Amino acid sequence: MTVGTWLALAGALVLALVVGAEARRAAGPVGRRFFRHPTAAPGLVVLAFFVTLALAAPVIAPYPWYLQLDPVHLANQPPSWRFPLGTDPLSRDVWSRLVFGARFSLGIGSLAMLVAVSVGAAVGAVAGYFRRWPDAVLMRLVDVGLAIPRIFVLLVIVALWDRVSLPVLVLLIGLTGWFGTSRLVRAEVLSLREREFVAAARALGARPGRVIFRHVLPNTTAPIIVSAALGIGSVMLLEAGLSYLGIGVPSPKPSWGNMIAEGQDRLASAPWTSLFPGLAISLVVMALNAVGDALRDALDPHKEAA
Amino acid sequence: MTAWIVRRLAASIAIVLAVVTLTFFLIHLAGGSPCGQSDAQSVAPEVCARLRAQFGLDRPLWEQYGKYLWAVLHGELGQSFWQRRPVIAALQDALPNTLLLAGTALVIDFTLGLALGVYQAARARRFGDIALGNAALFVNSMPTFWLGLVLLLVFAQWLHLVPVGGTHDPVLCSRLDSLQCVADRLWHLALPATTLGVVGAAATARFQRNAMLEVLAQDFVRTARAKGLRERRVLLVHALRNALLPSITLFGLAFPFLLTGAVLVEWVFAWPGMGWLSVMAIGQRDYPVVTATALVASAMVTLGNLLADVLYVAADPRIRVRGA
Repeated sequence: MTVGTWLALAGALVLALVVGAEARRAAGPVGRRFFRHPTAAPGLVVLAFFVTLALAAPVIAPYPWYLQLDPVHLANQPPSWRFPLGTDPLSRDVWSRLVFGARFSLGIGSLAMLVAVSVGAAVGAVAGYFRRWPDAVLMRLVDVGLAIPRIFVLLVIVALWDRVSLPVLVLLIGLTGWFGTSRLVRAEVLSLREREFVAAARALGARPGRVIFRHVLPNTTAPIIVSAALGIGSVMLLEAGLSYLGIGVPSPKPSWGNMIAEGQDRLASAPWTSLFPGLAISLVVMALNAVGDALRDALDPHKEAA
Repeated sequence: MTAWIVRRLAASIAIVLAVVTLTFFLIHLAGGSPCGQSDAQSVAPEVCARLRAQFGLDRPLWEQYGKYLWAVLHGELGQSFWQRRPVIAALQDALPNTLLLAGTALVIDFTLGLALGVYQAARARRFGDIALGNAALFVNSMPTFWLGLVLLLVFAQWLHLVPVGGTHDPVLCSRLDSLQCVADRLWHLALPATTLGVVGAAATARFQRNAMLEVLAQDFVRTARAKGLRERRVLLVHALRNALLPSITLFGLAFPFLLTGAVLVEWVFAWPGMGWLSVMAIGQRDYPVVTATALVASAMVTLGNLLADVLYVAADPRIRVRGA
């Protein structure tokens, strides 16, 4: 690593701390409840750090993610000043791949969650608002979806397509993850639809689509945000698992999951290739869980009333 | 009560049927054939056609589906392309391994999780509780397979305490015929089951701690303390019995978690269970096996949920009174 990349890393750390401090300073009433949670601030800083790594990857990473430095002399090097996290069996710098891997792991996690939350919210709202047969049909579908362990569905689909491109992978992970959200949103909508403001909107002649998307759904954002924040973590773990099995992010591209798989054969002699990406996933997922918990405490309407 | 159980059972059967339908069509929509692999380029077209006819892949889809459904109802899950034997035989080899792994993990999950949860609730907001709570949060955030690799590195590679993989020693104990071989199996089971169990226990402990705290705030606990009962008795008899109720729900939730986790943990430890079989079969484009494992896994999850629901009703008289 050169002086420049060390400086960039230090910059990312400082930026993360500044983001955390700024968020805390600018916090409104909800924000103050958020930061009252003891792990909220550290979680936010960890997230900000890894997001910075992902966004500024080309500046922070000392080498390109694909560069095989010297397969003969520089493979499986232990951590050193030049390679802070060592090199993998193909003599690629683990730190550089970890930094670029943040793009894949965080990107896939958040995009897939976005898909899942959108579908879940839409389905839940339709089921809860219309009740009767749409509700019955959709909720039976959700029952079936929840009965199949997600990884088996993904194993079946992902493996039977010849090549799963990354957008398709994101869609697949998202489309198998909306069942829980839809139940949550449905329950909210069932109670919201009886409220006066919904009756008023309907009396004014608003169509169902408008009532749902303009009047009902905006009132369900709090539980949706919380379930999304807590869900990204499990999506990232799922993606890591798929990539580890060799059917997620295809191999030369670095995802934290397939990096773990690449180091597995040399686990005894060169454990760093597998250990550090796993540590990165654990840290990020833990930070996401901490932030999600804090968000739930901050946004929970029952606590607000108390 | 009986009517409710029957209704619940019917719903479960409907779910399993829907899963059969779904997996079947999913796989056929995705395509793929027994000779569609890239390293099988040399297969002559006529051989390929004969293979397709032999497996019934040239029939219309609805006919294949009808046949499949009929066969599944009779426990007939088709032929494995890859192992060249009935799928049911492959499953019969794999299922006991998964059940052994998941069952042991379940025991570790609940004993460790309940013990930690009760301990944490007893020492709420003190050092032990906070330290364990954060540790549980961290374990819960780890990829299960990565934890498996770390344990493998420490206990198998560095300390040489346990073997690196497999279910038994293939040379000394190919058959389970002596006490030594039972010990050998347990020795092989230790690491994968611990991996899976510890991750589950982290979630169970968190849940159990909160359930205990809720119960400990209730009046009957104060009464028990006021009677002069020892704190130990208050915690373990009065409070725990009431706080165990919600963990029955957790029992139902543990099934999907254990089966999902088992896929990856089996892969790490070369444990020839259903997850391992499924991943191997996927590499071989052997979709009868893949469908069957997905189907069996779903049936197990549905059964687990049913069991948890029934247990819950049986354990909680308040629900029964409400005329469930």
